[in-house]
Amino acid sequence: MIIAVAALIVLAGLSALVLPDAGRAAGLAWLGAGAAALLLAAGMAVASPTPVHAAVFLLGAIFLARRDSRLLLAPLYGAGLLVMADLAIQTIELRVVERIAPEAIATRTGAALALAAVGACASVAAAIAVNAAPGRSVALTALGALVAVTAFAAIARLARGQYGPREGRRPPGAPSRGDRAA
Amino acid sequence: MRGSLASRTPGLLALAATGVVAGLASGHPELVLLAAPFLVFAGAGLALASEPRLSAHIALERTRLLEGEAVKTTVTVSNQAPRAVWLEFAPARSAQLGIEPSGAVAVRLAGGGEAELEFVVRPRRWGAHRVGPLLVRARDPLGVATWEGRIGVPVDLRAFPREQRLRELVVPLRTQPALGAHVARARGEGIEFADVRPFRVGDRVRRVNWRATARRGSLQVNDRHPEHSSDVVLLLDTYEEARDQAGGTLDSAVRAAAGLARAHLARRDRVGVVDFGGTLQWLEPAFGTTQAYRIVDALLASDIAFSYAWRDVEGIPLRVLPPGALILAITPLLDDRSIGLIIDLRRRGCDLTVVEVSPLGHVSPGPSSSDAVAYRFWRLEREARRAQLQALGIGVAVWEHDVMLGPALEGVNAFRRSARHGLLA
Repeated sequence: MIIAVAALIVLAGLSALVLPDAGRAAGLAWLGAGAAALLLAAGMAVASPTPVHAAVFLLGAIFLARRDSRLLLAPLYGAGLLVMADLAIQTIELRVVERIAPEAIATRTGAALALAAVGACASVAAAIAVNAAPGRSVALTALGALVAVTAFAAIARLARGQYGPREGRRPPGAPSRGDRAA
Repeated sequence: MRGSLASRTPGLLALAATGVVAGLASGHPELVLLAAPFLVFAGAGLALASEPRLSAHIALERTRLLEGEAVKTTVTVSNQAPRAVWLEFAPARSAQLGIEPSGAVAVRLAGGGEAELEFVVRPRRWGAHRVGPLLVRARDPLGVATWEGRIGVPVDLRAFPREQRLRELVVPLRTQPALGAHVARARGEGIEFADVRPFRVGDRVRRVNWRATARRGSLQVNDRHPEHSSDVVLLLDTYEEARDQAGGTLDSAVRAAAGLARAHLARRDRVGVVDFGGTLQWLEPAFGTTQAYRIVDALLASDIAFSYAWRDVEGIPLRVLPPGALILAITPLLDDRSIGLIIDLRRRGCDLTVVEVSPLGHVSPGPSSSDAVAYRFWRLEREARRAQLQALGIGVAVWEHDVMLGPALEGVNAFRRSARHGLLA
């Protein structure tokens, strides 16, 4: 329950970063923030991560409604989105748990916060690179795309290496590689 | 253990990809910056995640107890892998076993560390239960990957039925020569006075009744009834039962059988058990405490086994039904095959009593008026069956599950006294 409230507080904080500076799009931003809050609450209530991700998507979209210092605030906002999503998903995962050590939650939330901080640093580095760039060009966009594709490929390889097709994921009764060779 | 990506991970990656693609396509670098923490989180989580090596030990405070009693269970889970994991686990559930806490327990298990947790296990029903294995879901510290599986060796837990203390038992018509607690019909050495008769050569002087001698003018001696044991066979009907949420007739039948067995064994009777139903199992009559434990163990294995087979007395080994044994048939009178067997035994001259475990507490009429009529017919049919058995000289003790068994047995003894001559015929 406390974690769910914390997720909603983070959502309110993120909304507060955007709404005062939304200008003409304030109405739309309010609507988006309200919808995001509803989705987040619904996701935690029905124990489904999909509405949580949709809330993150909506909050990310309304960030564009802010007029000034978007590049400056984006790393902090991104880290906030990550923390909010983690807290909401933790709430969902802990619904089946009846007894838990408080320090276990603290450790896990601490790890998520640390990773969010690291992510924010990476984001700041990217912001500096964007600021240093002369302007938008095809070459720079291609470079950005290449970096993104490389990052995703690395993550996909990691995921495939650990959780791709292997012994543990064989359907029950299927022969192992060794059996087939024999 | 089976490893997979956590349900959150594809969503986080999809969000990151959406941010990057949208940022690059629309020329809004802020969107890429928003996505960067998600990418770092997923990448770092996957890079740091490694499969845990978990083992568990389940220890029960005691492995034998009465149904409804609680036993403390200590579960020790250890992680031999070098990295910490977030662990959610719970003992495997079964309908007959109450476990507290009822949900999963979550702990953080450091690399090479172990955690010890306590559960309270309470068998809701008698029987042989198994506590474990543990159902485990392990997550890496960031929760991007999960591993699920079962660990730990299950531990056997035997829950004995709660027995009723019985003061009154069905008095057997015939006794065996061994020393016991039943007053035999025969005359011999004993405590219970039987008659006065003239002195015969070989009679002990201490048995001379001097008052009767003085009155009659010749030596008179007291005759006594010896105290003998009897053979008792508990015939447990496992063809069918009536069951609802609160329990079933078999539960009550086993409790009654355990109570009767212990009470008869305490009176030095030989007691045997025949589990008569879809499967036929038996335990030959014997004396003593060991036999009490054997009987309870045999009763724990009792269960309703669906069968079309029509068995008769021929299927029961002769040594299980000794001549002159008192047969106590514990039955809900729901199956024609068991009623047929009871009638067959009586017609063969067996001393038979039926302990009817009433199914009425587990059955209720349906909502419609035709259901009510059917219910009344069913009850009438049961009464007719009972009357049919009583007409054959079989005492029927009707036992409702929420009352004591003793008074029902007293009623049977009264019936048997009134029908004694017919029974012995």
